[in-house]
Amino acid sequence: MGAHSERYTKAPLWLALAFLTAFAVVPLAVLAYETVAGPDGFTLAAWRALADDDNLREQAMASLRLGLVATVLSLLLGGGTAWLCTACDLPGRRWFGPLAVAPLVVPPIFVAMGLADLWRDVSGFWPCAILLGTSHAPFVAVLAARGLRAVDGRAYEAALLLRGRAAADRWLLRSIAPELIAGCLLAFLFTVADHGVPEFLTVKGKTWHTYAEGIFSRWSRRAVGTTFAEVQSPIVAALPFLAALVCLLWAALRLRAAAPDRGVRQPLPVQPLGRLRWPALLLPVAYLAMGIGVPVLVLARWALGSAQEREPMGLDYLRESYAKAMDQGFAAFSHSVWLGLGTAAVVVLLALPLARQSARRWPVLDVVAALPAAMPAILLGIALVRTFTGNPVFAWIGGGADGWDFYSGWGFAVCGYAVRLLPFAALTLASQVRRQSLTAEEAGRLVPRSATHRALRLHVAPLLPAAWSAFVLTFVLALRELDLAVMLPAANATAVRRLANAVHFQHEDWSGVIALMLLATAVLLPLLPSLLAGRKLSSLS
Amino acid sequence: MSLPVAIQNLQCTRGAFRLGPLSLDVAAGARIAIVGPSGSGKTTLLRCLAGLERPDHGTIRIGDALVDDDATHASPAERHLGLVFQDGGLWPHMTALQHLKFAAPGLSKQAAEELLARAGLADQTHQRPAQMSGGEAQRLGLVRALAPNPQVLLLDEPLRSVDVHQRDGLVLLVRTLCDERQVTSILVTHDRDEALALADYLAVMRAGQLVEQGPAIELLQRPRTAFTAAFLRGAACLAANRDGDGRVRTAFGTLAADTGEGDGDLRLVVFPGEVATTDDANAPAGRVLATLPADGDGLRVRVAIEDQIVIARADTAPTGTTAHLCLTGRPRLLPWSLPR
Repeated sequence: MGAHSERYTKAPLWLALAFLTAFAVVPLAVLAYETVAGPDGFTLAAWRALADDDNLREQAMASLRLGLVATVLSLLLGGGTAWLCTACDLPGRRWFGPLAVAPLVVPPIFVAMGLADLWRDVSGFWPCAILLGTSHAPFVAVLAARGLRAVDGRAYEAALLLRGRAAADRWLLRSIAPELIAGCLLAFLFTVADHGVPEFLTVKGKTWHTYAEGIFSRWSRRAVGTTFAEVQSPIVAALPFLAALVCLLWAALRLRAAAPDRGVRQPLPVQPLGRLRWPALLLPVAYLAMGIGVPVLVLARWALGSAQEREPMGLDYLRESYAKAMDQGFAAFSHSVWLGLGTAAVVVLLALPLARQSARRWPVLDVVAALPAAMPAILLGIALVRTFTGNPVFAWIGGGADGWDFYSGWGFAVCGYAVRLLPFAALTLASQVRRQSLTAEEAGRLVPRSATHRALRLHVAPLLPAAWSAFVLTFVLALRELDLAVMLPAANATAVRRLANAVHFQHEDWSGVIALMLLATAVLLPLLPSLLAGRKLSSLS
Repeated sequence: MSLPVAIQNLQCTRGAFRLGPLSLDVAAGARIAIVGPSGSGKTTLLRCLAGLERPDHGTIRIGDALVDDDATHASPAERHLGLVFQDGGLWPHMTALQHLKFAAPGLSKQAAEELLARAGLADQTHQRPAQMSGGEAQRLGLVRALAPNPQVLLLDEPLRSVDVHQRDGLVLLVRTLCDERQVTSILVTHDRDEALALADYLAVMRAGQLVEQGPAIELLQRPRTAFTAAFLRGAACLAANRDGDGRVRTAFGTLAADTGEGDGDLRLVVFPGEVATTDDANAPAGRVLATLPADGDGLRVRVAIEDQIVIARADTAPTGTTAHLCLTGRPRLLPWSLPR
């Protein structure tokens, strides 16, 4: 007990802060520094080039438009499904509720593959907006359902008695607004930051580009005669955009955290949909069909040989596809799983002290933790690469010719993924810490145990269910991460990255098998506790 | 008799609220209740004692140990106190048995189970707080606090979240366990009944200050301040304005001021039943709020007069909305509070 023990319990927090500094703050600072550090010293050439670059302006506007349209679609699909499943007498809502979160496990690139296979021309703005809106709708669905469940049914009924249905529904909308806005902001953020899907569609004939594509395309041409200003100016343009995204994400996190846990004793009354009861099924069905049905169907058809145009498609070909998958893609699959598990473990271990500290003492930590999530992954990847290869201060971590190659190894990929996904775990856990009783913690302070023992038994133990949720969320997001996989050497070999390329080379057959295995893994992990404990799945949680 | 708790010139400022300076000695084995309205500082005082808040000035001694002064602040765990929280403060992920085992590292499983059985929780040994009733949870909070055999037990409104029909059982349990273990208990509450059930010595607080303290029976029979009379016995405290010649004007006429104590803010203190309704139209009148049967013969009438409610005796129910009142007991002029 005493000061030494108290200091010891602070060590995880300092470790987490050091990690954030090394893998988020410093890389961002390096990126900003390099925009003014030209080959001949200090220069504002990149900043000046920005003013003359119409392409960048168009790309930024395209990103904004794409973000807005996709977010509206996410709101309609996710918010609508959550409302129907949580507050209405939709037929089969007990099944649709848990299913509505399922599209989260499908990487957006798989949705793009599915739609591209179904409709040959997906090169336009609208197909891109539809598939990104569908992919990110679970963020809105989960948060909207959480908001609806937090509303006290008696308060809604009081509004209903006093002011009628329309006014009561307006009151309900205002009550869940923080959650709804937070979900929309997350969907917007993920859409505008996405590089993989718009880039994939470019192969299908797309002629317009987003700013994330702009950053990557200039950066990838840096070695072939592009000037310093041309390489750096998209990054210069990204910095204010990034600042805006940080503010948005921070607002989203705060809104979600500020949504009160109202201690509900009575859920919302279930609203009868009347004649619309069966037609209302169209919304969740369309959402699930686009979000998970089409991709799974297309992947299954690929595994059965549809892309190879072998007749008849069937189990024989599936066996062949499986054998090829084991031969050519299993390494990528297991690499993805290990990377996902490693990332999830690191993220949860780092998020626990950060969440506790941000919930109890330093709310500003939310902003620091939000920083990497607000950075488009492609930009974060560039920042990490520039920091850990080009910078002499950090070059030693990369080791020499005879040393440990941190930069190319699994550890560096885990760190890169972890810093990107840390905010989601920190958010989940901080929200849980805020719900815990302060007096229960104070009761613990009176117990004659060491600070470490108290921290483990009284602070960490009650967080274990939330830590498991954070672990699963991180694992699923890591499995579907494509943009960082493009940038980080060790992540180049992940399944999602391999599959995004494999389909260009008519490897759909074994790609389909690997993709289905990946989806099964992503679904199995969250289901594991329910399967083992025999618990029922709760709606949209 | 030794002093297990001695507080000297304690001061603690939190935002706009200031506690103290106050001093309080608690004798070994005493059962003291610190009572006062919400916001009077009693919980802050309790938290300072427990080490959950650090005072700005003053000293606190627990037993022979100096736990707080300007240079010292012992951690809550180093004070060897038990604390029963208002809302239980239980650990939601632990069973009843795990609560006791964690709270008292040396406690054997058998001893923990015996303690739980003493508290009527034998069937809840392996249950978590969410599976218990409010009364059971509070019993668990009590035995958790007593499990490490503390010298002093602090209780923060322990009956507040307990159903009325479970209160007597909990009161008996607290008294029995504290007596058996010769534990000094310090209760804070704004509930007079809770204070009188669990303590025999009272300290009354208002606005961060101790107004008066003494044996419960003495404070009930002879309060020195109008505030104590109002708080402990529900007395009405009516305006009493001094004349230049030392007399005092009240709603019930002019009285001689017979007290030299206090802050100059005198009140006419009327205990329940010390006024009666009268037909005298010149007597002070008040609005009738309710008429109820008295314990013996007659009726009790609740009458609003000035901004207070007096309980008047009546032989018949008042016919109108107002009733005239006369004093039946000795008029009692008391200061609102005593000088600091």
